[in-house]
Amino acid sequence: MALEHQALSREFVLTGSVAALAPGRDAIMNFVREYCGDEQQEIDIMLALQEALANAIFHGCGGDAGKLVHCTVEISPSTIEFIVRDPGTGFDSADPTDMADDGTNLTEHGRGIHLMRSLMDEVTYSRKGTELHLKKLRANVGKKPAPQ
Amino acid sequence: MLKVDIQSAPPVVTLACSGRLVLGLEVETLRSIATSRPEPQLRLDLSRVHGIDAAGLGLLVELNHWAQQRAACFTVANPSSEAYRLLALTGLDRVLHLSGVTMGAGTHNESAAWRIMTA
Repeated sequence: MALEHQALSREFVLTGSVAALAPGRDAIMNFVREYCGDEQQEIDIMLALQEALANAIFHGCGGDAGKLVHCTVEISPSTIEFIVRDPGTGFDSADPTDMADDGTNLTEHGRGIHLMRSLMDEVTYSRKGTELHLKKLRANVGKKPAPQ
Repeated sequence: MLKVDIQSAPPVVTLACSGRLVLGLEVETLRSIATSRPEPQLRLDLSRVHGIDAAGLGLLVELNHWAQQRAACFTVANPSSEAYRLLALTGLDRVLHLSGVTMGAGTHNESAAWRIMTA
């Protein structure tokens, strides 16, 4: 099967320091950008990725530059997926957030997961919360033809 | 990157933001600027902000609390469509005082002094 007909996959590795967040996010977005359907989809993915990487760095690595965050990007004809893994002890993703029943959150924290769930089509945790899966369905108006 | 234009016209100060309001220098810079202002009415113009993450949204809530504790007024003005979408997604459009939601880009007061700070 020709390469252009296969799903694309690439792995990025970031150090667990806050300084690595923006350059890491931008490097991943530089790879993903041309497969985004439109600007809105690109913004959604960028913000969700920002949350995912920030959580991995802050909570999974404790900001320790000696630890690593792995981000695998998989692009198929129909989806853009991210798997973000951190070396932390994980958390109970079923725990309630600070969000009230009416969807408001009056605290200064606790919006990251809610934001990711709002911006992406699928958000799931595995490996006790140390591995995050993000999925975005590709729009039909992609700048670059989808791998078949 | 976030650029903050400071327009002081006592008792109001408008912080006109351009760029992304996200975790890191951007959020830290805006927090530092906003909480150092002496004016009792703080107005945050988000007409040129095209991305806000959870840390940025958290800062808006923090500034709202900060203003309330000082009996000051905090307003989020002219949010861009993207900024407003994120405020609505997180329910903050019902919590924060918003103005100029349908106005798009904000207007500048020519008589006020301007300073530019960049994060």
